[in-house]
Amino acid sequence: MSAAPKFKNNVKISERHGAGEWKLEKLALLALMPLGLWVLSTGFTLAGADYGAVIAWFGSTLNAGLLAVTAVVFCLFASLAWKVIIEDYVPASSRSGLVLVSNLVFLVLAAASVFFIVRLALGSAPLPAGV
Amino acid sequence: MSNTPPAAGETGDRTGRYVRHPNGHVAPMSPFTDIWRWHMTMVASILFRVTIGAASVGAVLLLGWVAIVACGPDAFASVAAFSGSPFGLFIWFGLTWVLFSFLLNGARHLINDAGKGLDLKSANLMAQIAVWGPIVLAVLFWVVLFAAGKVSL
Repeated sequence: MSAAPKFKNNVKISERHGAGEWKLEKLALLALMPLGLWVLSTGFTLAGADYGAVIAWFGSTLNAGLLAVTAVVFCLFASLAWKVIIEDYVPASSRSGLVLVSNLVFLVLAAASVFFIVRLALGSAPLPAGV
Repeated sequence: MSNTPPAAGETGDRTGRYVRHPNGHVAPMSPFTDIWRWHMTMVASILFRVTIGAASVGAVLLLGWVAIVACGPDAFASVAAFSGSPFGLFIWFGLTWVLFSFLLNGARHLINDAGKGLDLKSANLMAQIAVWGPIVLAVLFWVVLFAAGKVSL
């Protein structure tokens, strides 16, 4: 299946997509460092805030945009991190279903986050709409 | 357990310690946590996995909060009553602890992933910061929140 392993600086080069996934996970984590600090400052701003203040916060495009980006990048990072955790503890023969479920959970989480954030940013009528 | 290296052709892991499994396979001895002396870097590493798990739960909770905001003022008021209760504040405190842990332990992980800070002294120091820092910072964060009058019991 695999050709003779290649080495770079005495380190084996990944034969398939392992290194790409590792890099993507690290890039997502790197992006989450400033975003996490921003979430922290947001938590400080919104602690104890009333409904009007929260709606006004979501009304800012910058706030809503950063929150949506944070949600999507976190879900990307978490799905990759959970894949690594599952690979460590679940035998190869029975892990593909679990990885699929974990990816699906974070896909739904990201999509739902963007859905609610966009509605709040656009000032849509409270859900359930049209009732 | 045997200390004989594996057959020619197999690559060793440089520990020189091998175990013959019941099925006859010779494999490097696993670093089982109950035979290895506990070390701060192990604690930090394990806590980062715990943090990722807790952050995943926290993300679901935060999504629920955003969904409630999108459901209008009445829904928000009923949830605000709960989230301002002592148990609600306890959960929010836990979430800030997880966030600080994610930031500090994630930064430690990124630095180590870049191949930096892997000598004993730096690795120990960063592990200590990643384990104890979040507790200290989360408590400070909430002391300031209470002092600023943003939240009250």
